[in-house]
Amino acid sequence: MKYAQDIADATQEIFSSMVMLEVTPGEPLKRADNKLVDSISGIIGLAGTIKGMLAIHLPNQAALAITTAFLGMDVDEIDEDVCDAIGELANMLGGSMKTILDPGGSNVQLSMPSAIHGEEYAVDCLADAELVTVPFSFNGQTFMVELQISETN
Amino acid sequence: MGKTVLIVDDSNTMRKIVSRSLRQAGIDFSQILEAGDGQEALDVLAGNKVDVVLSDINMPNMTGLEFLKAKAEDDAIKDIPVIMISTETGADIIDEAKSYGAKGAIKKPFTPDLINETLGPLL
Repeated sequence: MKYAQDIADATQEIFSSMVMLEVTPGEPLKRADNKLVDSISGIIGLAGTIKGMLAIHLPNQAALAITTAFLGMDVDEIDEDVCDAIGELANMLGGSMKTILDPGGSNVQLSMPSAIHGEEYAVDCLADAELVTVPFSFNGQTFMVELQISETN
Repeated sequence: MGKTVLIVDDSNTMRKIVSRSLRQAGIDFSQILEAGDGQEALDVLAGNKVDVVLSDINMPNMTGLEFLKAKAEDDAIKDIPVIMISTETGADIIDEAKSYGAKGAIKKPFTPDLINETLGPLL
């Protein structure tokens, strides 16, 4: 699946160097059910010759574990710090994927990152977007990194 | 004597990570100051003696590039070295940052070793 290996490599590098966590990628998939439950998503938009978004979707418990490792302090509820940390992960993932999607650096722009969370929600982007989702696991927890893009030349 | 560094990033998380990386890099900083955007950074520089600035590029209110431009126009602070730390490290944007006086750039994600290599020559 296009870009799946790039997503796996970028995610592993970011988690290893910045979060001090080793994460293991699984087989890439096309997420059929876009409903997310008791989760948080960090999202960054792409505009320009490639439009779409990159998102990291984490169950709340995975987000708490990652934020605890990221900040080096115990975090036990989804608060401003968790939203900021997950948004920053999306920002770094977006930056890494932009390097691959737009090597020259001038044809694709990144939005500011954002984070959303809730008991049940869905994240949709472009109707005609290519979609690839890579699941990851660490310490008994899981999360997904998803790229939805439409390329226009 | 330890140096004073200013970290400029709208993400509180990233300011903490950069601060942690500075300590892990083994650089002797006596004081680490923080700002959430370019305007806050200018305010900090106006009231403190800072040896080096580490700044994000994409920030609300005043971006890293706007901060560099404003700093270059102020004789009192224009010579303080700035390193950009950003996910945005395309040649165009880094060339633009350097044209406004940035001394280098570090791409997120980064390691303490990379921080040390980049900052070391400036201190």
